[in-house]
Amino acid sequence: MRKQTILSIALSAIFVIAAAEPVMAYTLLSPRRRWATTPITVRVYNVGNSTITDGDGGVTAVVGAIRAWGIISSSTTSSAAVRGTAPATIMLNTNGGGLCTGGCLAATLTGYYTTQTGDDRIYDADVYTNTAQPLYSSRESGCSGEYDIDGIMTHEVGHVIGLGHSSVAGATMYPSVSACNTSPRSLATDDINGKNDLY
Amino acid sequence: MHRRSLVVIGLILALALPLSASQFIQLPFDQIATESKYIVRGTIDQTWSAWDDSHEVIFTYATMRVNRYFGETTGPDTLVIREVGGTVDGYTQEAIGFPMIRKGEDVVLMLAQWEDSADLRIHAFNQGKYLVKGAAGREVLIEDPVKQGESRPGTSGDHGPQENMMAPGLRMNEFAQMVEAARAGHQIEKQRQ
Repeated sequence: MRKQTILSIALSAIFVIAAAEPVMAYTLLSPRRRWATTPITVRVYNVGNSTITDGDGGVTAVVGAIRAWGIISSSTTSSAAVRGTAPATIMLNTNGGGLCTGGCLAATLTGYYTTQTGDDRIYDADVYTNTAQPLYSSRESGCSGEYDIDGIMTHEVGHVIGLGHSSVAGATMYPSVSACNTSPRSLATDDINGKNDLY
Repeated sequence: MHRRSLVVIGLILALALPLSASQFIQLPFDQIATESKYIVRGTIDQTWSAWDDSHEVIFTYATMRVNRYFGETTGPDTLVIREVGGTVDGYTQEAIGFPMIRKGEDVVLMLAQWEDSADLRIHAFNQGKYLVKGAAGREVLIEDPVKQGESRPGTSGDHGPQENMMAPGLRMNEFAQMVEAARAGHQIEKQRQ
């Protein structure tokens, strides 16, 4: 009887997990699009976020975090994002004129031209941050109900390079984020597979 | 022992379910309902896109022919909605994960004003948009499964969102009751998942 119960629980667990997890992994933005060349230049505006108390408002942390993708050339810049014009720029200090408010943590705007042959070309991508949300970085110790800017921006840069969301729990591009969760800082095999599909 | 089995299975189920959307925090339904200026059902008549004055952002404008206001809200028969993203002269700008507005859609929208103008936008991003499906009198509201940057299910060879990622539907009268309860300040028992 005891063995039957254990077997029943195990089978139920397998069934439930299989049913809840769609059989798919990374997705690409649609229509499929990519930057023409790598490395992709991404600048982080050097005015940081006031809720991040790591000395420079998360700027240095984000410059380092987004290099996890391996095809990103990142640095700081004193020039604010100009939408529709490269390079891709991350703005930690503004919500983009009201674009990213309320329940939005960060928003990525991408611009591309449709091509007749092959993948569409991304010409610009800019990222904005909800300055009203509590954020912290890898250069701070401890977390109390805050959202990890390193992981958030690593996820957003996934969109910058042309990735959509993944159904793989634990992937950086997984469509879920919770406070104090730092796992999106590290790319999963699924994220790398998505990147390798495009580049 | 049987009860313990059920508890274990329940825990496994809870852990297996998706938690929330992308880089958005899911807001409670009653918060969205109370913060919305208008909650309307209608049809998207026309859409057009244009750069903003500084030529930095493409916005898509849509006229919506309203046939029902929910809650105590009332307003004009036609509303103009402005959402970020669109295509002008072959150049497309998208805000990944933000809602899309398409001509001909039968929708229920929860609308709020932009911070910097009286223009209307969908409140709480895709949480404020429902597609209306089903025959008259038996309509069901579902979340729009396709947001900016995503492909419509079954229309692309690319990896893309699947039909099974759609949230379960909500009956129109249930939705109306939830809106009324939320705006009256009452606790609502059933929330959109």
